[in-house]
Amino acid sequence: MDSYLDILSVLILLSSIILVSHKRIKSYIKTFRIQSALIALTAGIMGWNSLIEEGSLDILVVCIIIILLKVILIPRLLHKTYGSIEYKVEKDFFLNIPLLIIICCGLVVFVYFSVSNISGLNEDHINLQVVNSFSVILIGLFFMISRKWALGQMIGFLVIENGIFVTAMFSTHGVPFIVDIGIFIDMITAILIMGVMVMQINEKFESININKLRNLKG
Amino acid sequence: MIALVNNFIQLLIILLLAPMVGGLIKKIKALTQKRQGAPVLQMYYDLYKLIQKESVVSETSSWIFKATPYIVFATAVVGALLVPITTLVPSARFTGDIILLFYLLALGRFFMCLSALDTGSTFGGMGSSREAMISSLIEPSILVSVFTIGLIAGSTSIYEMMGAMSSLGNPLFHPVFILTFLAMMIIILAETSRIPFDDPATHLELTMVHEAMLLEYSGRHLALMEYGAAVKQLILITLVVNLFLPMDQFIALTGAGGFILSVALYFVRVVFIAVLIAVAEVSTVKFRFFSIPNLAALSFILSFLGFLQYFVLGR
Repeated sequence: MDSYLDILSVLILLSSIILVSHKRIKSYIKTFRIQSALIALTAGIMGWNSLIEEGSLDILVVCIIIILLKVILIPRLLHKTYGSIEYKVEKDFFLNIPLLIIICCGLVVFVYFSVSNISGLNEDHINLQVVNSFSVILIGLFFMISRKWALGQMIGFLVIENGIFVTAMFSTHGVPFIVDIGIFIDMITAILIMGVMVMQINEKFESININKLRNLKG
Repeated sequence: MIALVNNFIQLLIILLLAPMVGGLIKKIKALTQKRQGAPVLQMYYDLYKLIQKESVVSETSSWIFKATPYIVFATAVVGALLVPITTLVPSARFTGDIILLFYLLALGRFFMCLSALDTGSTFGGMGSSREAMISSLIEPSILVSVFTIGLIAGSTSIYEMMGAMSSLGNPLFHPVFILTFLAMMIIILAETSRIPFDDPATHLELTMVHEAMLLEYSGRHLALMEYGAAVKQLILITLVVNLFLPMDQFIALTGAGGFILSVALYFVRVVFIAVLIAVAEVSTVKFRFFSIPNLAALSFILSFLGFLQYFVLGR
């Protein structure tokens, strides 16, 4: 099982780096959907293992909730928000893409040096998986500050949430069910509120470029 | 002595198979577009025809223009000699290794750029400047991925690297090698001038890279240049196939029977990689020239992350 989880943790990290290298909002949403599917697969493998070993269904239920929520519902909401704002071809990021990717790589190296010193984590597989999933959090944060459009920042927030979830899964092999449900409800509320806010920003300022929020209106 | 004969047979297999791989990729592309396409063996006919024709050389060009086709072809053949097809039969020990292989190919490419500048045509200069940019962008990623495999195998000799990879069982289920494999696929596309980097089927002035450098060549020289490019493509495919999809560990036979079975499996894997390349070509478009650094950076980061995973895993 460990080798499959290693591969999945690498692929999740890879999907977040590919997300940073994309230019268009539609491809952000598509990559986010793929990343969520990979996370659902990870949860599925862990859930199946815990069902066989301990007979508990918790993680499998979490897996199904992830598929419903992050693979189907949230990308659909994002598409809806994206469809309702008027599309303008505009450069969405502050730095050029090769530089963004290399900074992401620096983040992974930074995480490796900081996480490998934590005592208690030093088992081979757990160390690898935690390094990879912890970097997803930082890359999500970096994605959030490197994009100008509010929708890109929403996706950055979702990637941070994915990273936190995966880190918890890999380091503990299953958090209590009630905690997961709480996080999911928080997230869906945040996405709904952010969607409404993006539409409001678009209506007031005629663009969702956050640089233009300083423009005077009246 | 036996080892030398083995090497020679493997070299012959690569030389004979090389033009077919390009034809296979073209055929798959044609089938996805509902065309019939040229026959798979078309490139053999082309080479046969070109070798019989005389080659025209511009009066203003220097010796570099005439020497380049031979240098390109010779570097490709020596490169093919360094890449064994199977680990079942012993190969002769060369002092050369995988680093020599990549710089031999780079030597051929360097002379190709020079000869394109030599005749003074505008397209040649444009093509060679673009080729130089692409190859310098993709070189860090080649070296990092090669060194990662070398670190794990404990050697940079291709024969020993192949042995180490086949003792791993299935390398693609290893977090280090899945990243290195993806980086190598991008490297193949860049080195053989395939679609996201360069369109091999076009002769449109504004977009061509590799073709622009061959424009001045004709006859025998053109045949050598194209054959050299085909051999180079098959060398890179052979390297990927033997390092990342090894099958020698499944073969129980030894001697001639094992060798034939191993070569048959090698054909199957080459066809598989050719299908992957054709799918990549069909499903993407040629990138804008200034978007190529993005893809090169992605390839570099894939190989670098693979390198990093090796240290995180500590094995």
